[in-house]
Amino acid sequence: MGLLDGLKSVLGVKAEADATRDADPDDLFGMSTAYVTMEADLGYEPTGEAALCFADVDSTDFRDAMDEVESILDAGRVETGTRATFETDDHGYQWVVLHDDDFEDLLTSIHFAADTLVERRYGSRLLAALFAFEDARSDQVVYWVYSFRRGAYYPFAPDPHDDHERNTSAEFKLDSNLGDELTVESDKEYWYPLWPDRPGYHPWE
Amino acid sequence: MEWQTDWGLRGRMALTMFLLFALYIVFVGALTLYFTNLAAIVVVMGLFLGAQFFFSDKLALYSMGAREVDPEEYPELHRTIDRLSQQADLPKPKVAVADSRVPNAFATGRSKKSSAVCVTTGIMNTLDQDELEGVLAHELAHIKNRDVMVMTIASFLSTIAFLIVRWGWLFSGGRDRGSQQAPVIVAILVSLVVWIISFLLIRALSRYREYAADRGGAMITGKPSALANALMKIDGRMDKVPKEDMRDQAEMNAFFIIPIKVGWIGRLFSTHPSTENRIDRLQDLERELEGR
Repeated sequence: MGLLDGLKSVLGVKAEADATRDADPDDLFGMSTAYVTMEADLGYEPTGEAALCFADVDSTDFRDAMDEVESILDAGRVETGTRATFETDDHGYQWVVLHDDDFEDLLTSIHFAADTLVERRYGSRLLAALFAFEDARSDQVVYWVYSFRRGAYYPFAPDPHDDHERNTSAEFKLDSNLGDELTVESDKEYWYPLWPDRPGYHPWE
Repeated sequence: MEWQTDWGLRGRMALTMFLLFALYIVFVGALTLYFTNLAAIVVVMGLFLGAQFFFSDKLALYSMGAREVDPEEYPELHRTIDRLSQQADLPKPKVAVADSRVPNAFATGRSKKSSAVCVTTGIMNTLDQDELEGVLAHELAHIKNRDVMVMTIASFLSTIAFLIVRWGWLFSGGRDRGSQQAPVIVAILVSLVVWIISFLLIRALSRYREYAADRGGAMITGKPSALANALMKIDGRMDKVPKEDMRDQAEMNAFFIIPIKVGWIGRLFSTHPSTENRIDRLQDLERELEGR
C-alpha cells in the first residue's frame, strides 16, 4: 500500500475514491492477439460471444447513457454484423451481450460500448468484460475476464459438472500460457468468479 | 457521473485527527516529566493493544456469536459480497452470520486481507436485496477506509490516559514519598483531562467515519436511496421499548436542563450520527445523481 493510499484510508476517503475511480480500459486490446494463441496453441475456440457487465445507477441520466450505447451498437451492426442483446441478471447487474463470429468485431464492439459509458462518466460502474471460449473436446467453457477496476485480465473456468466450482487447472493453464500476451491480474484474490444464474449457462443468461 | 467532494466532512475529520494528535503529543510530553518508567508503560500497553488489534477480527465475531459461513450455506449472500467487493476493488472478505433477531451488520479486521463482514439473520430477514447491498457496501467501505486500524490507533493513548486515571495512585508509593506525591496527582489530573477530551474527539471521529462509510457505500452501489431505506427500516426496528414507568421518567427528566439523548450532550457522546442526519446526507447524494 502506497503512502497516498494510506493517507486516503486515514482520511476515510479510500472507499469513495476507489468506488468512483474511472475505468481502466487500456489493456483491453491485449485480447486482439491472445485469441489467436487460444485457438492455435490451446484448442480453445471463441464461442462468438462477449459481454460487458456493469452496475446499474438509479438515475435518469444513466438510462440516457444506456440508450446511447444501444444506438451506437445498432449503428455498428450495419457495418460489422455484430448483434447486441441486453440482459439483467439475478443480481440486478446489467449485461450488454454481443454476438459475432468475427472475434475482432466482438472486441471492437465491446470497446465501443465501454468507451461510451466512460465518456458519459459512468466508467466507474463498469465491472468486467467477458470473452467466452470453448474447448470442443471437453465441453469446458472458459472466460477471459477483463476487470475495468484493476485494468487486467484473469481467467475464469466454471466447472461444467459442478455448480460453483472452478476448474483451477484450466485456469492455471490459461494463466501460464497467456501471461506474456495479456496483462494478467497477479493477485489471485481478485480473480472474482461470475457464476451463471443457472449452471451450464453463461453468467448473463 | 461525478460526485462532489465533501470537503466539509474531510476538513472536520482532518481537524479532529489533528487535535487528537496534538493532545497526545502534549500528554506524552507531560507524562515524561512525571514518570521515568514511561517507556515501559507504553511498551506493555502497546503489546496489549497490539494483541487486541491482532485478534480483533476473531474477538468481534466471537462476542457477537457469529460464525464464518461458506458459499454453499449462504450462496446469495456470498454472491452479493463477491460483486460488491469487485466493484469496490477489494479482495473478498470473510463472510460471517450471527444468529440474532436484531438487525445489525459490522465489519472487522485489521487489514484488507484479514477482514470479515458479519450480518445477523435479523437483518437478512428485515431488508430486501437492494437494501442489504447498501448495508454491505457500507461495511466494505469501512474495510477500505481501514477504520478498525484508525480507531485502534486513535484510542491507544486515550486508553493509557484512562489507565493512569484509574491506577495512577499506585505510582505514588515509594521511598521518597513527600517529594513524589504532588507530581503523581498532577499526572493523574492531566490524564483525566486528556482522557475526557480524547474521548469526545474519538467519538466525533467515529461519527465522521460513519458518514464517510455511508458515502463510500453509496458510491459502490450507486444507490444512495437503498442505504437510506435500510437505515430507516433498521432504525424503526431498533426502537427501544421503554422499561421505566412514564411517571418516574417525568420526575427524572426534571433534574436535567436538557434531556439526555435528545440534546447536544447525547449527540456528543454517541459513536454514530443520528439516522436523520445520515439520511439527509444520502438524499444529497441522490440529488447529485440526478444532477441537481
